[in-house]
Amino acid sequence: MAQVELSRVSKQFGATRVVHDVDLRIEDNEFIVLVGPSGCGKSTVLRMIAGLESVTSGEIRIGGRPVNQVAPKDRDVAMVFQNYALYPHMSVYENMAFSLKMAREPREEIERKVREAAEILELTPYLDRRPAALSGGQRQRVAMGRAIVRCPSVFLFDEPLSNLDAQLRTQMRMELKKLHLRMSTTTIYVTHDQIEAMTLADRIVILRDGQIQQVGTPVEVFEQPVNRFVAGFIGNPPINILPAVVSGSGADAVLAMGGLRLPIHPPPDCLDCRQVLAGIRPDAIEIGSRLSGLRKEWQVEATVVLAEILGGHSLLEFTAGGNTMIAEVEGRLTARPGERLTLGFDLDRLLLFDTESGLTLR
Amino acid sequence: MRNHDRIKAFFTLLPSIVLLAVFVYGFIGNTFWISLTDWGGVAALAEEPVRNYAGFANYAELFAGFLGGSFRQDLVNAVFYSVSLLAGAIGIGLVLAILLDNKPCGEALFRTVFLYPMALSFIVTGTIWRWMLAPQGGVNILPTYAGGQPLRFRWLSSTDTVLQFDWQNLLEIVCFLLAAILIVWGFWLLREQPRKAAIRLLLPGVVLGGGTWLWGDLLPRALFMEEMHGLNLATLGIILATVWQYSGYTMALYLAGFTGISQDLRDAAMLDGAGATAYYRHIALPMVRPITISAVIILSHISLKMFDLIFAMTGPDNGATGHPALNMYLTTFRANEFARGAAIAIVLFLIAATFIIPYLISSYRQRRGGR
Repeated sequence: MAQVELSRVSKQFGATRVVHDVDLRIEDNEFIVLVGPSGCGKSTVLRMIAGLESVTSGEIRIGGRPVNQVAPKDRDVAMVFQNYALYPHMSVYENMAFSLKMAREPREEIERKVREAAEILELTPYLDRRPAALSGGQRQRVAMGRAIVRCPSVFLFDEPLSNLDAQLRTQMRMELKKLHLRMSTTTIYVTHDQIEAMTLADRIVILRDGQIQQVGTPVEVFEQPVNRFVAGFIGNPPINILPAVVSGSGADAVLAMGGLRLPIHPPPDCLDCRQVLAGIRPDAIEIGSRLSGLRKEWQVEATVVLAEILGGHSLLEFTAGGNTMIAEVEGRLTARPGERLTLGFDLDRLLLFDTESGLTLR
Repeated sequence: MRNHDRIKAFFTLLPSIVLLAVFVYGFIGNTFWISLTDWGGVAALAEEPVRNYAGFANYAELFAGFLGGSFRQDLVNAVFYSVSLLAGAIGIGLVLAILLDNKPCGEALFRTVFLYPMALSFIVTGTIWRWMLAPQGGVNILPTYAGGQPLRFRWLSSTDTVLQFDWQNLLEIVCFLLAAILIVWGFWLLREQPRKAAIRLLLPGVVLGGGTWLWGDLLPRALFMEEMHGLNLATLGIILATVWQYSGYTMALYLAGFTGISQDLRDAAMLDGAGATAYYRHIALPMVRPITISAVIILSHISLKMFDLIFAMTGPDNGATGHPALNMYLTTFRANEFARGAAIAIVLFLIAATFIIPYLISSYRQRRGGR
């Protein structure tokens, strides 16, 4: 049980600065997900917290104690690695018992803890097996078992699910969430998969080029991204971003995107903006019966490019006024390419970004 | 189609099968046959040499005969030599590999430096070390650079012997050694598998050792007379040279193994609380076990057929530093005792087989188990 605090933490490899002045406070029992494209420094941040990388400048505190100079084993953290990092010559039992053995715990105590963890993770039948004789999902569970036997105050996960196939990943994701609810230990989880981030996190930290872009709950970062990067990174299918012009002001303001002219309420930041980037979430575009909830002026004629049915919902690629966009709509949409239909934009959820800085105009 | 492929495969392999059968297994068989005859002596090189079947007389002579003393000392030399080479080269190689594995500066340079002796032939190594170990040069005068007295040790011509034992008591000694191995092994496993260690190792070890101690006199004598053998100190120079030559090689083997262990595994071990010692003891060394086994096999067969280095360092006729392989050459081609030479060759072959066959069996089992 511990808070983790990073204050102005930077990391430099030679002349390359990979983490810039990261400030982050992770509460006790919180599930934090660090997410970002590859090379954004998220794994480096995690490894610095674990003590596997030194900190170039700044300070890391775990449970209020500065740990910059503390050896990894004394930080009371446990880590699960992407490729599991199980000891291939040891059985599942020995893998899970290794850290306790190193800590010179009594044999009976080790046995009890390992069996308990194996019970939680449904690994009891496999305790005598070597990792090579286990499936990917089982190995992943052993890696987690190795972490939980120590009852650490912080769990660190470094892309733990990315070596699993899609189905297993979904299943393990849920198990992980349940495990966290059960253990309630501070957890820091690194992934590049924004779905994992959205589903697991209490709060998401979005990193880019070693800098924190935004910290917030999944809904916050989805609905109120601070910039174009966050808006584009979070959400699947990705947000539609189109160059647009805002003209007029107050109640007369109009957003012009290609041939479309849509009345909007521009945000205060956009009092005299003209060139902007407009961001429209695919799920903020409606068709059919759901059009009734939208203003008449936000409805437009569109031409279908392609419709894909994904079981309960469909993806629709369309052009309207010379703009190509993607919509995510309820139900099974059987529209042929070239067909015309009416759809509507929920512009209450419109996001406007500065063309230069990419910052959200609020 | 499948049959057709098999026939093709058979005919493709046929030449090598025939060559192997004749030149390897056929010749081993022939050597064994010769060792069972009395081919040798003055008429050994006659056009039609006399070769009578003599059973295992040559072997009996080697191990328990009046004239086999020099061979027995050579065998003892070979045992000490193999054990020291294995311990020295693997120990030093391992230490060097661990040091280099921690990426000191100049790692690449040291790697080359340590591996370099491997590139030399034994004749060159032997000549260099003969000079360095000369009584009044090289190693012996090293202390004078630090203001000390020069060493007086005669590395290659010492006549001292330590760890002496009587060949008569060979069976007793073997029993004691076996008992010691069982007991040490038993203690080693005691923490991990107490039952197995106690029943399968410690108990038999204690019984064997105690039995030999109490009733060892009842064991048959291995020889009808007293005959002292031991570790001739003159062989130390040769051991030193071989260890020097092969430490870099085992270092390279281990270093390759250590480098192959993923960084994640190291990190995991570090987080699990394993310091450097624990990492190598519990993670790295068990993981490179196949390398240790290969090193043991390679080094033991090198030490068993050691010939050129000894020839270059002390010449063929220095009894104190003899070796069965050298003895085989001298017996066969100098003394023309072909049958006895063949018997020595077969003894060496069997000793080498005791090292290699367990390895082959275990790797075969692993392959079948892996399926």
